[in-house]
Amino acid sequence: MAGREAVKRAVQQVRPILSVDREEARKRALNLYKAWYRQMPYIVMDYDIPMSVEQCRSKLREEFSKNRNVTDIRVIDMLVIKGQMELKESVEIWKQKGHIMRYWKESQDPKPTDFLSKFIQGIN
Amino acid sequence: MARIVKASTGLTGLAVASNPHHTLSALYGKILRAVAKMPQDASYRKNTEQLVKQRAEAVCNNKDITALEKAVGCGQVEELIVQAENELMLARKMLGWKPWEKLVQPAPPKQWDWPPAQIMDPKV
Amino acid sequence: MAAIIRNLGARIACATLAAKHVVPAATTTLRFSSTAPAGAKPAEKPTVRKPDAAARTHLSDFGRYVAECMPKYVQKVQLTAGDELEVLIAPEGVVPVLQFLKDHHQAQFTNLIDIAGMDVPCRKHRFEVIYNLLSLRYNARVRVKTYTDELTPLDSVCEVHKAANWYEREIWDMYGVFFANHPDLRRILTDYGFEGHPQRRDFPLSGYVELRYDDEKKRVVCEPLELAQEFRKFDLSAPWEQFPNFRNANPPTEVVQPAEKK
Repeated sequence: MAGREAVKRAVQQVRPILSVDREEARKRALNLYKAWYRQMPYIVMDYDIPMSVEQCRSKLREEFSKNRNVTDIRVIDMLVIKGQMELKESVEIWKQKGHIMRYWKESQDPKPTDFLSKFIQGIN
Repeated sequence: MARIVKASTGLTGLAVASNPHHTLSALYGKILRAVAKMPQDASYRKNTEQLVKQRAEAVCNNKDITALEKAVGCGQVEELIVQAENELMLARKMLGWKPWEKLVQPAPPKQWDWPPAQIMDPKV
Repeated sequence: MAAIIRNLGARIACATLAAKHVVPAATTTLRFSSTAPAGAKPAEKPTVRKPDAAARTHLSDFGRYVAECMPKYVQKVQLTAGDELEVLIAPEGVVPVLQFLKDHHQAQFTNLIDIAGMDVPCRKHRFEVIYNLLSLRYNARVRVKTYTDELTPLDSVCEVHKAANWYEREIWDMYGVFFANHPDLRRILTDYGFEGHPQRRDFPLSGYVELRYDDEKKRVVCEPLELAQEFRKFDLSAPWEQFPNFRNANPPTEVVQPAEKK
């Protein structure tokens, strides 16, 4: 119990980045998701990528759910800030087509897992 | 207007002051009033008061601009005005910051130790 | 003590008035006095610059003066490499201390030369942020150091020094230190879509990804880096110590003790 109190106090002492509680951090993450979601048609149109809007949105969801287990408010804030910067880079067309297509990692083959494919690729 | 002593300050963006004695004494008065709101034993207050009083005295005693510049010895009159303006803004901001209080946060142990090889052992 | 600083200023200013040039005159006069000591014996290491004794006393006095004026933020004042003044402050005091050094009559450090970052992973607050300042009026330099960790934001000094804008973006890009209230914080050196902060000690020298032009897709693609070497042993024990002779040979820093109470 005392340990938990100490942890609580330590948490209160750190300086927040943007959000002061979990609810605010959650709202920021949701707002970022919505902003990306709404910009998706324009991104697809501007960059002329060979993907549909739906595919892009499922990729967006995938990128967000990669970090679904993050609980620290400040880590969430930092990820939101980085996501915001990335959104701006995409919307203002500072990026190029290759940068957008980087999310799909198409040119990477999945790592071989079973014996035969490992053997064929020459990995042991 | 026979009182103009110089055509230019020789510094880009710094115009010749038309009535430097008046401007300077007004500014020094304002600084002293701002500083007077600080606690008596604040070192910043003592040092600033001493210096500003000295300069205000020099402004009073020297009616000639060249003599004043020589007496203060910190650049031309126009530069003195800029310095006084800066000090005034600083003094007003200091009232909010209150830097005469005790140390806000002591340095964490080993924070300022240098070669890092000597602080490797325990992860603090 | 403050009088000494003022005397220094007066001396430079007199030289300035005499020569009618603001900076170069002051610089040359001081430099001549520092590099050509009268009647000095041939030194053992002629290539190593000797610290200037006069500058040292002025700087340590000035360091004491800063510590006395801002006891809330200054944690430690020290001289390194003989005659370089360092003011070590708490992260809360970045804006007040820099504003004080910029605007105070006896400091006038109006030029922000550089902001540097440093990463020492074994410390609790692993990043140091270092501000290099120059006072043209008094021909003096000072270094202000503070610390932070990955998630603690520092205050941006953009409203004090306009020059800080790009420097802070660089620190953000290279180390991932977040600056609160920065007007335009975004990447400056790395490519769009780059992940990670390359100047951190735990970022590998080779990076994580490599880029190549794909002829089929007609664009640049990004792939995880595969080193051709099969096995590499990285000695991570002390990445700084490639030369153990220098373990204790760093120029000792001298702590400037605060003045005694009268």
